[in-house]
Amino acid sequence: MEHSFLDKYSNLDSLIHRLDPRVKIISFLVYIIFVVLTLPHNLFRFVAYLTVIFMLILLSKVPLGYILKRSCIIIPFVLLIAVFIPFFKEGEVAGGYSFGTLRLTVTYSGLWILWNVSIKSWLAVLAMITLSSTTRFPEVLKGFERLYVPKVLIMVLSFMYRYIFVLIDESMRMERARRSRYFGGEHFRQLKVFANMIGLLFIRTYERGERVYQSMAARGFNGEILTLSHPTLRRNDVLFLVIFLASLVMIKIGRV
Amino acid sequence: MHIPDGFLDLKTWVTLGAVSAGLVGYALKRSSRKLGEKHIPLLGVMAAFIFAAQMLNFPVAGGTSGHFMGGVLAAVLLGPSAGLLVMATVLIVQCLVFQDGGLTALGANVFNMGVIGAMLGYYIYVALNRVMRGNPRVLFICSFVAGWLSIVLAASACAVELAISGTVPLGVALPAMAGVHSLIGIGEGLITALVLGFVFKLRPDLLDIEKI
Repeated sequence: MEHSFLDKYSNLDSLIHRLDPRVKIISFLVYIIFVVLTLPHNLFRFVAYLTVIFMLILLSKVPLGYILKRSCIIIPFVLLIAVFIPFFKEGEVAGGYSFGTLRLTVTYSGLWILWNVSIKSWLAVLAMITLSSTTRFPEVLKGFERLYVPKVLIMVLSFMYRYIFVLIDESMRMERARRSRYFGGEHFRQLKVFANMIGLLFIRTYERGERVYQSMAARGFNGEILTLSHPTLRRNDVLFLVIFLASLVMIKIGRV
Repeated sequence: MHIPDGFLDLKTWVTLGAVSAGLVGYALKRSSRKLGEKHIPLLGVMAAFIFAAQMLNFPVAGGTSGHFMGGVLAAVLLGPSAGLLVMATVLIVQCLVFQDGGLTALGANVFNMGVIGAMLGYYIYVALNRVMRGNPRVLFICSFVAGWLSIVLAASACAVELAISGTVPLGVALPAMAGVHSLIGIGEGLITALVLGFVFKLRPDLLDIEKI
């Protein structure tokens, strides 16, 4: 089984790792909302938010290179926006190109939009990567549960998380079997083999779901979720939350 | 199609977040009423199934590969509410663990791929089924069209949301997104249709389970 490709580095030990998941969820959610609501012209604030998140990453001991590499996930969407920038016609023209009769112009307002989405999505994705690489997913779920997200949804999510590994292993086995027996062929036929794999995976999954339910029912499951742990916030958690939120508010109201 | 944070403005992500949260809550209530406590493991493994199926890449022309969304597939197999819940679960995990799609944009992503991609796709499938009753290839054609439309409509919704937020110009982005995804949607439609055909051949009883 491959376990490490999900929430890598979440089992390290650091100040950030040890925080209560509730504290981390609230902190990062507020951080992302603050970032998203910042006006694009406020360069100082973006620099400040960037400093904050880099400080957290340093504290968390997660390799910076890993986080930066993973943050590339937003690039396709930024490129998508970039493609449409020349079509914003309003505002002062920053430059233009002519292709024969077609003339593309780039306006300053268009460039501001591109800057706006790039910096915000990058800061937000850095925050999310830091959250997921400092908190194991079951812990994240526990945090959400204690923040009053419906328990049923939490249960479904934790089931999914548990079986992702099993099903990915199963689909990889099927993919290996396909590759070792099948040597290409025309396009539609290839697609059909692929679809049969997914169909088979569905049938196996459905049957697995039935078995899982039966064994749960046999052990007395009646839809209620019982937990033993009753976590309390420690001094460090409260301290972190207060300092973090205070620094966000300072950035928000501060002027240069 | 997973919108990151920062691409939508306040009114758009708050509205879509509220709409999606309401619909997911409704679907949760509906599925637990219909299935009792059994729906928890079923929805969980089905979400893992869609997740695993999305990880299998199929070859597209020119050496590139794509993966499918699976909204219509999940909804046709399990029903519209369960389809929405499965897609929402997949999107939450993709957002929290893989940063695929932003946290503030989660509501918008659930709306595009769960509400439009799965729920609406299901009703399109059912409506087509009613119109084409009696045709021997009804399963293939209906699921192909529903799968194709679900991708095109989800991409269009994505373009409209970005345009309302002032991130892209509507007049150019909508036709471009719909156009590109009408090609991508062919793969989705074909796979949805072929998978359902395969399940129908092997286990026709599974297509008759109660839809929730």
